Amino acid sequence: MQAGLAASLALALLGVPVFSLAADLTDAAEIIQRANLAAYYAGDDGRSDARMRIRDGQGREQLRQFTILRRDREDGGDQDFMVFFSRPADVRGMVFQVAKHIDGDDDRWLYLPGLDLVKRISAGDKRTSFVGSHFFYEDISGRNPNDDHHVLTGSDAQSYVLENTPKNPATVEFKSYTVWVDKQTFLPMKIEYINEIGEIYRRMEVLEVKSIQGYPTAIRSKMNDLQGGGHTLLEFRYTRFDLGLPQEVFSERSLRNPPRQWLKRPSG
Amino acid sequence: MTHWIANLATSRPRTIYLFVALLTLGLGLQIPSIRIDTDPENMLPQDQPDRAFHNETKKKFGLADAIVVGAVNDDDPEGIYNVRSLAAIHRVSQEILKIDGVVRHDLMSLSVVDNVSQDGAGAISFEWLMHEAPQTGKQALAIREAVERLPLLMNTLVSGDGKAAAIYVPIVRKDQSYRISREIEQIIARSLAGSGATDSYHITGLPVAEDTFGYEMFVQMGISAPLAGLAIFLLMWFFFRNAALVVAPMIVAMATVISAMGLMIGMGFTVHIMSSMIPIFLMPIAVVDSVHILSEFADTFQEGDDVGVAIRRVVRRLFRPMLFTSVTSTVGFLSLAITPIPPVQVFGIFVGFGIMLAFLLTIVFVPAYIVRMSPAQLRALQKSHRGQGKLGMLSRLLPPLGRFSTANAVKLMVAFAVVFGLSILGLSRIQINDNPVNWFKSDHRIRVADAALNRHFAGTYDAFLVLRQHGQDAYQQFSGQAEKILARARLAGVDLDAIGWDAAARTGLDDPGEQLDAMVTGLDDALFDAGDAEIPYLEDLLASAEAAQSQAKYFQQPEAVRLLETLQRVLADSAHVGKTNALPDLLKTVNRELLGGMAADFAIPVTTAGIAQTLLVYQSSHRPRDLWHMVTPDYRSAVIWLQLRSGDNQDMSEVMARLDAYLADHPLPAGLSSRWAGKTYINVVWQDAMVAGMAKSLLGAFVVVLIMMIVLFRSFLYGVLAMLPLTITITLIYGLIGWIGKDYDMPIAVLSALTLGLSVDFAIHFLERARAIHHETGSFASTMKQMFKEPARAITRNTVVVAIGFTPLLFAPLLPYVTVGAFLAGIMAVSAIVTLILLPAMLSILRGRLLPETQGFVSASESHTGG
Repeated sequence: MQAGLAASLALALLGVPVFSLAADLTDAAEIIQRANLAAYYAGDDGRSDARMRIRDGQGREQLRQFTILRRDREDGGDQDFMVFFSRPADVRGMVFQVAKHIDGDDDRWLYLPGLDLVKRISAGDKRTSFVGSHFFYEDISGRNPNDDHHVLTGSDAQSYVLENTPKNPATVEFKSYTVWVDKQTFLPMKIEYINEIGEIYRRMEVLEVKSIQGYPTAIRSKMNDLQGGGHTLLEFRYTRFDLGLPQEVFSERSLRNPPRQWLKRPSG
Repeated sequence: MTHWIANLATSRPRTIYLFVALLTLGLGLQIPSIRIDTDPENMLPQDQPDRAFHNETKKKFGLADAIVVGAVNDDDPEGIYNVRSLAAIHRVSQEILKIDGVVRHDLMSLSVVDNVSQDGAGAISFEWLMHEAPQTGKQALAIREAVERLPLLMNTLVSGDGKAAAIYVPIVRKDQSYRISREIEQIIARSLAGSGATDSYHITGLPVAEDTFGYEMFVQMGISAPLAGLAIFLLMWFFFRNAALVVAPMIVAMATVISAMGLMIGMGFTVHIMSSMIPIFLMPIAVVDSVHILSEFADTFQEGDDVGVAIRRVVRRLFRPMLFTSVTSTVGFLSLAITPIPPVQVFGIFVGFGIMLAFLLTIVFVPAYIVRMSPAQLRALQKSHRGQGKLGMLSRLLPPLGRFSTANAVKLMVAFAVVFGLSILGLSRIQINDNPVNWFKSDHRIRVADAALNRHFAGTYDAFLVLRQHGQDAYQQFSGQAEKILARARLAGVDLDAIGWDAAARTGLDDPGEQLDAMVTGLDDALFDAGDAEIPYLEDLLASAEAAQSQAKYFQQPEAVRLLETLQRVLADSAHVGKTNALPDLLKTVNRELLGGMAADFAIPVTTAGIAQTLLVYQSSHRPRDLWHMVTPDYRSAVIWLQLRSGDNQDMSEVMARLDAYLADHPLPAGLSSRWAGKTYINVVWQDAMVAGMAKSLLGAFVVVLIMMIVLFRSFLYGVLAMLPLTITITLIYGLIGWIGKDYDMPIAVLSALTLGLSVDFAIHFLERARAIHHETGSFASTMKQMFKEPARAITRNTVVVAIGFTPLLFAPLLPYVTVGAFLAGIMAVSAIVTLILLPAMLSILRGRLLPETQGFVSASESHTGG
């Protein structure tokens, strides 16, 4: 399953039929696999308006508003993302493009209209802040389930509880993380990150789930910085799945010429 | 009244004992709840504007107090950039992160900061600079290369010469820094053991200095104060050779010290560096009055006399002069209460209290004690005292001094006038300067660390220049535009309020910036539901709200960032400023890496959008929060962090003057203000307050004491004369400080008021006694002759007691104590000498008016002052 934002980004969609299971699952790998699909692969593609309220330990707020387009090349496999920034006004027109690869580094580009510059972003570290929020890039794009060992440590009426430890600890800042996966929707509803000294220093919680076109979607989630005291609230609106987004939308051309047709908010 | 007191003391000694015991015990029980305060910031009241602003700045920009750990490698040709040294830094940093009380996410070390660079494929990369310790020399050198391209790290995390690296350890609470620094020491020892690294590690930073200071204050109180007690005991033993007798003044001194400290602590005052000196001040002062009584008693008691009668007589005679000297000393100390420095006020008030308590205890306890002495003890006392007094060195030296003074009166006058003139000249040369780190001796590990790190780095002393945009133009402009748009809408019959873009949001928030943010969000939401008629107006409103938002973010505008850059340059021109860090450095670095990494691109983006987007890229790093150490999220306040090589007030003042001079020629744009914060600046503020406050308290005490003298002697001339020795002493001591170039610092400043209170005593005793003797003899010559027998001896003896009583301070581990000890001993000596030389000379010159030759008649019983 993926670390972070799994649930939140919700763009996803589906493929995973949602029904109550008569019997609980006992295979951690299977739970994680389904959680990954539920959180990041809803539908074959999707679009959503996103608003991030980044609040620091002193209660000072910043806003980021952007539209995300997503297209899956394969369920649970490679995906393309485009993130178009609209607020604050000074960063309007900035575009972040990602070609996510399961068996290799992601390709990432950034378009900065203020400098009239398209810049490639190094493949390296995915655990950097996503545009100054408390979410990491990897929380938004989905952490590769193969990067961690997963153990099912418990379950209750609502959730499976899994403990996850990195296969390559040098590449992450956590020692482990615990995830609560909803038994009905398979959305990761809560994730707690634990550091070297055993403290929970970071916590993601899904605050609201809504069924959109039949896909349970986390439309409100929150990432808490338990050390610095801040948090980021991420809200998704105007979310649609299975739009039939063409692959050309996910090209360098779209950086300077945003595909307005797909960025417009769907009505209704 | 004196009768009543003396009678009570001699008739009910047990009651007196009980009273003293209960008082001491009752107040002494408060002492265990002692709270130590070592923060120099507390030299200013909590709500003092500069202090409040300093703390607001710390909070706003997340600038926690930091312990600075430095590693120096002088052996390796690559300095710190070798595998072993870097591995040690890595290990130490990772371990420090585990310590409780460390602000983990703000720790600064090579192992937890980001490197922004180009990776091979022309991509920008934010990678941990040293996530893992390097394995090869090549990797180690790669870190050097990276650091040298990052101006925010260069000379802050690694020294310019590459020989030293630093770890900044921000801590949650300053009062834990001593514990944390001890833990860091252990970590260093563990990490270096067997690692092969030869680096020398240092720990410094103001929080460590402060906390260590507090620790050593305890040491001082635990060692110096008892030592002072011991010194005084031995001295009195030397004078009286009678243990039973000497115990009485010691009990008075202990009871005074314990009661004063207990009362202070019980009333909830913290023990600050000033108040930690209370015991050592009170001890000698408390003993002096007892010495008067014992001296006088030993002189006059005859075997076979009724002890009670004898002691009552002594108390009656000494009551008035002792009361006056106690009151004048108290006035001197109480005058400290009018300084604007809370710890100095507390010190003055409780020393004043202690002096009056010592006076009270002396006149009730010492008589009670003497009454209960056995006849054998009394005999021994009398014998030893008489013998010692007659044969002493003082008896041989003092009479010739008296003859010399009166014989050369005019010459001496001229000599003193010259000394006075030179002293005034010296006063004008006084250098006002202080630096709390220099309160430690130069071989203290904190001073050593301080020197080592400031030699390599750009400086470990912080000051912050805060710039703030107050202008409301953007908001006002928007309100105007909004009114017009709304009017247009109304004219067209469109009611915008009806679609609920939340009028509450427009008015419900105090801060116009927040109002604007709320409005933009509200308009954005409203647009979605709006009909075709409303949309154009909402879009207009949104556009002008966003324009205002952008304009209000002052420090995202190129002119504002360039202004910061200019101010950085102006400040960096000062030799005391090793380096400045601010928003422009960050922007230029990220901009360079975005544009391809060439030195030519190390520049501030030319548009607001360019700046905003560059910053958003920066915020996509591991440490986006670091941006808020330089600018607030509303971009209306920015800070320039100055790394100063010295914490001297003078040097900070020079930097401030440099900025003022620049701003005088190049005023800041309208709406923008600048203000200083940072510990180095705060020290300047309280130092200034101290100097001005001391001048006032000195002047105030001088006037009060002068009036008291005039009243006491019922003569203006005598009153002025009484002030002469202390005036000469103060000017001489401070003139000397000016001439030898010793900095006028906190302890020196405090001494002025004390000098006044202590050295007027001698003049009171001398003049009162001279007048009384003259009253008996009617002859100036024989008055002087007698004056240089017992009275001069008493003055000299007290000088020695007080001076010696303060000498244990010379062995204190902290320099302010040493300074106070040395100067007080000096002050006592100078004022005794001035009293014994200048007063006879002046009396000789003015004898026609002050001590005219008369028939002389005797009324000895009222004349003896005991001096």
